[in-house]
Parts: sequence; C-alpha cells; structure tokens
Amino acid sequence: MKSKLHKYAVWFNAFMLLPLINFAQGTQASSTSTYFSNALFLAMLAVITILLIVIVALTQALKNIGQSDYLLRRDENDKNSGTKIAATLFILFTVFSANAQTHNAKQDWIIGGLDMFTFYFMLGIIVLEGIVLTSLLLTLRKLLESKRTAPIVAKPKEKTILSVLSGAVEIENEAEIMLDHDYDGIKELDNDLPPWWKYGFYLTIVVAFIYMIHFHIAKTGDLQRVEYAKEIEKARVDVAEYMKNAASNVDETSVKMLEGADIEAGKNIFVSTCAACHGKFGEGGVGPNLTDNYWINGGSISSIFKTVKYGWPDKGMKSWKDELSPMQIAQVSSFIKTLKGTNPPNPKAQQGDLFVEEGNAPITDSLSLPNDSLQALIKDTIKTIAPGTKTK
Amino acid sequence: MELEKFNYDNKSVKWFAYATIFWGLVGMLAGLLAALQLVFPVLNLELPYTTFGRVRPVHTNAVIFAFVGNGIFMGVYYSLQRLLKTRMFSDFLSKVHFWGWQLIIVLAAVTLFMGYTTGKEYAELEWPIDILITLVWVVFGWNMFGTIIRRRERHLYVAIWFYIATFATVAMLHIVNSIEIPVSFWKSYSWYAGVQDALVQWWYGHNAVAFFLTTPYLGLMYYFIPKAAGRPVYSYRLSIIHFWALIFIYIWAGPHHLLYTAVPDWAQSLGVVFSIMLIAPSWGGMINGLLTLRGAWDKVREDVVLKFLVVAITAYGMATFEGPMLSLKGVNAISHFTDWTIAHVHVGALGWNGFLTFGILYWLIPRMFRTKLYSPKLANAHFWIGTLGIILYAVPLYWAGIMQSLMWKEFTPEGQLKWQFMDTVTKMAPFYAARAVGGMLYLTGAIMMTYNLIKTIKVGSFLADEPAEAPALSNEYHGHKNDHWHRWIERKPVQLMVVSLIVVAIGGIIEFVPTFLVKSNIPTISSVKPYTPLELQGRDIYVREGCYTCHSQMVRPFRSETSRYGEYSKAGEFVYDHPFQWGSKRTGPDLARLGGKYPDSWHYNHMMDPTSMSPNSIMPPYPWLLEDKIDVSSTVAKIKAMKRLGVPYPEGYENVAAQDMEKQAGEISASLKKDGVETPSDREIIALIAYLQRLGKDIKTADKKETSSN
Repeated sequence: MKSKLHKYAVWFNAFMLLPLINFAQGTQASSTSTYFSNALFLAMLAVITILLIVIVALTQALKNIGQSDYLLRRDENDKNSGTKIAATLFILFTVFSANAQTHNAKQDWIIGGLDMFTFYFMLGIIVLEGIVLTSLLLTLRKLLESKRTAPIVAKPKEKTILSVLSGAVEIENEAEIMLDHDYDGIKELDNDLPPWWKYGFYLTIVVAFIYMIHFHIAKTGDLQRVEYAKEIEKARVDVAEYMKNAASNVDETSVKMLEGADIEAGKNIFVSTCAACHGKFGEGGVGPNLTDNYWINGGSISSIFKTVKYGWPDKGMKSWKDELSPMQIAQVSSFIKTLKGTNPPNPKAQQGDLFVEEGNAPITDSLSLPNDSLQALIKDTIKTIAPGTKTK
Repeated sequence: MELEKFNYDNKSVKWFAYATIFWGLVGMLAGLLAALQLVFPVLNLELPYTTFGRVRPVHTNAVIFAFVGNGIFMGVYYSLQRLLKTRMFSDFLSKVHFWGWQLIIVLAAVTLFMGYTTGKEYAELEWPIDILITLVWVVFGWNMFGTIIRRRERHLYVAIWFYIATFATVAMLHIVNSIEIPVSFWKSYSWYAGVQDALVQWWYGHNAVAFFLTTPYLGLMYYFIPKAAGRPVYSYRLSIIHFWALIFIYIWAGPHHLLYTAVPDWAQSLGVVFSIMLIAPSWGGMINGLLTLRGAWDKVREDVVLKFLVVAITAYGMATFEGPMLSLKGVNAISHFTDWTIAHVHVGALGWNGFLTFGILYWLIPRMFRTKLYSPKLANAHFWIGTLGIILYAVPLYWAGIMQSLMWKEFTPEGQLKWQFMDTVTKMAPFYAARAVGGMLYLTGAIMMTYNLIKTIKVGSFLADEPAEAPALSNEYHGHKNDHWHRWIERKPVQLMVVSLIVVAIGGIIEFVPTFLVKSNIPTISSVKPYTPLELQGRDIYVREGCYTCHSQMVRPFRSETSRYGEYSKAGEFVYDHPFQWGSKRTGPDLARLGGKYPDSWHYNHMMDPTSMSPNSIMPPYPWLLEDKIDVSSTVAKIKAMKRLGVPYPEGYENVAAQDMEKQAGEISASLKKDGVETPSDREIIALIAYLQRLGKDIKTADKKETSSN
C-alpha cells in the first residue's frame, strides 16, 4: 500500500514537467521558440529537473528505509508525504495557471528575457522543490539518527545519505547478495540498480517522448526552417529599429566623399580586406587597378560604394555588406577615390571605361556621357537584365 | 570431476601488446604533428604527403584502428582465454589475425599519405583495404567463436557479451558504410550520395566510437577492474540492463552529428532523443566500474594500475555525459564545426581509451614476464604527466571552440557580421599552441611507459604458455532454481550474437529506409546538374588532399551562416555527391557557396600561397597542384562509375567527356591569362578551380532568377 502510494507520487512528480512545457506553449504561442532558446529558461528548467530527480531518488530512499519496522510504527501522516508534495505542487500550478490569464497582458515585465510570470512561476517551483528537498533530507536524517540510536538496530555502521542514494548493500553484508558466479576469480554481486540512475533513465525516456510529440506529432515546436525565418525577421526588425536613430546610416544614394580621419579608417580597412586582390597600393592584381581613371562599374563615390556593398559576384568581386557596416563601406570607398593618380609600381593594365567626375568637362573621350552616375546606372541596368554574361 | 590441463597463449597477447605500444606512439606523434601544423603552418613542409589534410586521417586512423584496435585484441586475447578456461581456438588464426591487422595498418598509413582516400571520416581506406579488413575481422570472429565453443565455463561473463556485440556490430557498420563502386585499384566512389551518404557515414562514424572505442573497452574494464582491485563486480543486474540498453540505444544516435544540416528533421530529432536516453546506459558502465572499487579505494591510492583505470572510467563518464549535451540542438548550434568537438573526443580518446590501455599494459606485462614493474615511480610520474596532458589539451580547446563559435555568430547593431573569418582564426593560435603542449606531455608520458615496460621485459622471463586447469564442461546442464532469466542467453553464444545483431540493426533500419525510399525526404532541385568531367576530376583532387578535414560544405540555417556564406544548404543540392563532403570541422570557412565568390586567379594564387590572398591564413600551400597534370586517362572510368551510381550523364557521354573537359579547362586557362597567370590547361589546379567555382552555383543561378524578378 505504502510503496504504491510512493510510486504514484514519483510518477506525479515526473509528469509535473509536462504541464510546464505545455504551459510555455499555450499561454505564449507566439514566442514559443524564444522560451526554449532562452538560456535562463533552460537553466531554470534544468535546475527544476535535477531537483526533481533528487527528490524522486530521496523518496525512493525513504521508501527503502521505510521497510524497516521503525517506520511502520510511525504515525500514518508521514506515509504519503510524496503525494502531499505532488498535490501541493499541483494546486500551486493550477493557481498560477489561472493567474497566467490575467498577467498575460503585461508583457513588458521582463526578467532575463522571460516575462515576469514565467520567471516567478519557475522560481516558485525551484523554491518549493528546495523546501521539499530540505524536509526530505531532515526526515531522512532523523530516521537515520533514530536508527543509529535505537538499541534494536543490528547494523553497527552508520548509513550515509550517499549509500541510501545508491541503494547499495553494505560491504559488510555483501555476502548476502554475492552470486555463485566465478569467472577467473571474478565474483559478481547483485546490488539493486541505484535509484537515482533508474529514475534518471525513466526520466530521459519520458523526455524523449515529450520531445518527439512536441516537434513531430503535436507540431508545437519550431523546426529549423521556421526557427530560421523567425531569427531573420527578428534581426530585420532590430536592425531597422537601430538604424532609425543611427547617425552612421548611409547608402549608395546618400553617400558623400569623406575626409580626414575617415580616410585613415578607410585605409586600414583597405589594407586588411582589399589589398589581397587589389594590391597593397591599389595597383591591381587579381582584381582591377584602382589608381587609374578607368572603372568597370563606375568611379563615382556612389558607384564604388555600391560595388563594395553588393559586389559583382559574376566578376569575382564579393559583396561586403554583411562584413562591413555602411559607414565602413563609405570610408573605404572614399579612401579608394583618393588613390587616383598615385601611380604605384607594377600597375595592372586599365580595364573598363574612362571615368570623368561629374561637373568636369569631358577631356578627350567624346563618347563618354557627361553624367557618370547616369552612365553607371545604364550599365548596371544592362547587367541586371543579362546576368552571368561571363564565359563558363 | 576430472581436471583437464591446458595452456593459455600469452604469445599472441604479447605481440598485440607490442603493437599497441608501437602504434600508440606513432599515432600520437602524427597527432602532435597535426596539432603543431595549426600553429606553425610551415610544418606542412610543402609536400603532398605531409600536409594537414593527409596527416589528420593518418592520425585518426592510427590511434583508433592501430592503437586502440591492437589494445582491444590484446585485452580480448588475454581475458577471453581466462574467462572461458581454454586456450585460444587456433594459434594459426591468432597469427593470421595479428599479422593481417598489422598489414592493414601499414597499408592504411602508406595509402593515406599517398592521398588514396574515400573521403569519409574514419572510413577513409580504399576498397581493397576495406575487403582486407573484412577478412581479418572474420578471422578474429572465427578465432573468438572457436574459443567460445571450446570453453570450459558454462556461462559467458559480461565482458564477453561486449566482445560479441562488438564483433557483430563492427562487421555490420564496416560493410554497410564501405559499399562503394571501384573506379580503379585505389579509387572508388561511395554507393550513397549526399544526405543518404551523410546519414550512413555518421551512423558508422558515431558507432565506430560506440562499438570500437566503447563496448570492447567496457568489456576490458569488466575484466581488469575486478582483477586489479580484487573486488566483486558491483551489480550483475546493472550489467544486464546497461549492456542491452547501451547497444540498442547507441545505434540511433548517429544523426546528432548532422543537426541543423539538410538531413530530414525527424532523423535529427531521433538523433537528439536517443542521445539523451543514452546517458543512463553509458553511466551504468561507469557506475558498475567505479562502485566495484568500493572497499578498495585505499588500494587506488597505492596502485598505479588502479589509478589509470579510475581516471579512465571518470573520463568515460564525463565524455558520455557531455555527448548527450552536445546533441541538444541549442548546444550543438554553438559546438558543431568548432574545436569543442575535438576537445570532447580527446577526453574520451586520451582519458578513456588511452588510460585504460596504459593501465592494462602496466598490469599485463609484469604478469606475463613474471616479474615486477621496473619502476612504479616512473609509472606514477606517467600517470600525473598524462593527466596534466589531458587537462592541458582539453581546456584550451573548450575555451577556443566556444570563443570562436560566438565570434562567428556576433553581429554589430547595424546588422553586419562583427568578425571576418580570419579574425577568428588568428585568435586561435595561443589555444592551439597550448593544446599542442598538452599533447606533447601526453606523448611524453607514453614514451616513459615504453621505457618502463622495456626495462621490465628485459629483467623478466616470458611465460609463453601459461599452464592452467579446469574441469571439462559436461553435456548436461541443470540450472539453479533461482537463476536469473538472463542466464539462459549467457549459455548460448550464437543466440547472444544473433539477438545483439537484431538489437543493433533496428535503429539503423528505421533511420535509413525512409531516407532512401521516401522521396519527400530529399526534395529534388531541377537546377542541380551533374558535375562536368573537369569538375569531377577537381572534386577528386579536393577529396585526395583532405580538404574536408578543415572545410565544411554545409551552410546551416542560421542568420550568422547565411550572412557569411549565403543561402543555407538544401538536401537536393547533394544528390550527385558521391561521397558527400559536408565535413565536420571549420578550421577554415565553409565552402558550400564558394563558386563565383572570387576570380579564378584568386584561387590560383591562393593554392600557390594562401597567405598571398588571405594574410594570416594557416592553410598549407599546395604548389604541386600547379605542376602536376590531371590524370585524364581516368575520366572515362569515372564517368562510367558515376553513371552506374545513377548520375544522369547522357548515353555514351564518357566518350565525349574528354572534349568537354578540354574546352572547360581552356576557358579557365584563358581567364587566368587575363589576370596575368600563364598556366597550361592540363594542370590539376585547373580542375580544382573548376570544382571550387562550381560549388553552390546550381542553386545560386536559381536564386538569381527569383531575385531579379522582384
């Protein structure tokens, strides 16, 4: 009767995890994935789980001791402490669940990425588990102490909490569980499975089922594609929010030639990221020469900005918008413009068309359009219409 | 009952022990070289044979199959005879087994240095060696089962359950994963492609850890711990439960190596949950080992053998707890592709396998040579220097792995990746250096052991045939009334093997069959086309040089990866990849979307000297690719093999492939010339460039159509 009760209590405890997960799903359907990607939530969940395992194991240990006649003499109230605990937890859970509806609106109360309700709910469970654990330990100690002092006790040795947890038979008494196996002198004992191990195993199996149900049967969890879409969307919103107030927000339409310290900063970027292909002094190598007057994709500050930002992947110029900030692109573009006419050694032959700065009269080439950006624009348009014109 | 007299064969054990020590030193030395190459790239020596991409497979194969492999056979040959009270079945088979295995190792080392590889991790050996391995493995099984049949002990001890499961499962893993189509004597293509290849490969890779590095060593633990401690095994019941649970659950966990990849979600989830359920069965072994020492802890303080064994079991416990943690998707998103994984496996390899082997050697050698260990003091020093080595190896790599991963993932508020890939590589140098020091200490310990054992052997006198006696097994058996039900199968070795084979087969079948048969698991992409002959040749060079040891080809669906590399990888992109080349480590950046990112001349310069295009790069140079000519004679056979694997080349394409190849090579050569690089179009570099420029291109063109329309 008694052990049965304990078993119920144990299972009840284990299933406390279930509503917890459902709760995280149910009340906050939109932010499901954030719960499980929230470190605090996971940490608290882990603490709750670990404490639960310890509690279950201790309950088991108490049950083991309970089999001695000492406990049988104890008053009835103590028997079903496990059930009581579970019941208390359950009541608290329902109370909190009810509260959830009212608190749901106040989303702005955030603690460590968790809304206040979830945080305190989980904290509450942890504290409760702590109390339960302490009381269990105290009971256990009392039991062990009274066992030790009781004159009828046959075992001379103190039973430590550790040995109770492992469920092992004392070394002194191991002859009782010695099997008649003998392999090259190796004997085997038949100790019980350590309770914490056994219930830990059960727990992982329960978790496995919940996991599969959550993701593949109930489909309440986000699989990787949805997770990804959410991550991208969140980043888009965050970046847009930030850029609204950011002074450094420039793009190809608003970029202006920079001066002074920005040129210096641009130079540093150039040396570390561009020099490998365009040469240390911009004389060209794998990439084209940046010091002459000829440009493949336009030589205005906005064209260069655009080239750096989006790249020309078909021609081997990669896009830098994910590595360099708009300000950095503006800096490096401005620096590149200062290279004109520096005549470095070993220049690469000119490629592309002669570029004439807007406002200046064309020097020799009568064919070039007066407006460089218009020219570049036309060229860009042609390229967008017919991509991948390169051989191969 | 009459006692029968017989002898135990110590000679085979001795030879396996010598081989264990020798290959251990060789394997560790190769590992140390690889570790140092990451700190000082000049140590790649600009030779094909000594670049990291070839040294690393030599290292992994040597420590797993040579060091631990011989360690397994040493321990099995010693314990099996004594647990069954009989001599090994056949001295001749023992000899064939020993020399066969050493031949495999030598062939493996030579071919891997030569660049003959299948490109599948821990299964790199080419098909003739695969067949040889199968044969020698059968000899091992034959010898083992022969011994078991002739036993004088009715029941099989738990150690032998593990040996039997090891034999059956490794055979299954090796055969299924090695199915390949030979192109020539030293070249083959994996039967499977892309996602399926990945799934089979990591089912194999994960369970090579399970059934080559774990189960046989658990068997050894079950023999040597109680022997060395003189204590009974803690719990027979625990042995039964953790044995069956372990072998059943382990098999399923393979897909946890492929989380967030193009493998179907359900397979990934199975990998996760079975990894979680694996904690308890793994720890069952640890508990049974450690609690067997109850009442012998005073001995542990004195006896160096027990010290080694205790640290080994502890390392096993740590690694088998960490493994499931790394299988959680949230953790794996950080740990995968980083040095965290390398640290994890080395806690297992150095701690569990290494220390258990050392402990056994210190225990066995003096016994077989009927003397005392030459210097317990030196052995003690080995213990401490080895432990220190493990810590110094693992801790910097944990740190470095997590640090690098977080750097990869960091964005500025403006939405740009904060770090260039190279920034994160430069930051690794001190950690790599510390790791190399850790490895060096560990190797020093092993050298000290070698000296100590040689000295012991010199003073001792070897007992080749150890006399023993036991009553013969009667034909009739009357069980005890209260016998555990499991005793039945302990009397039936064949049934035990069959049942364990069934138990381990379940997981693989359930994971493979749907992936192979259900179309929706790998949605096809119409723009994905077979490789051109030149690209195919280039791909084989990529495989030959072991590029996959440092570069992945798998963009995971994370913002940090799609920003850095491009669109995340889809299952349908890999349908012509025999073998898949997703990789497992990013010492360098991912290459799945490399095509078209840089000009041809960039690749040319980069292969000649990586630092010229990418300052601070630790990638080795590949100057021989600029000189060596493409082996055009192999093209026909390669296209034919691919066709047989179902790659849809047109009818008779192998006959015109050479022209296509020449044409494409000419184009690349011309594009190089435009950038001032003069190179003939028949060089290997041209093929490699063709392949690299193709990577991820198929889906990119598809994307472009999409983006240009809006």
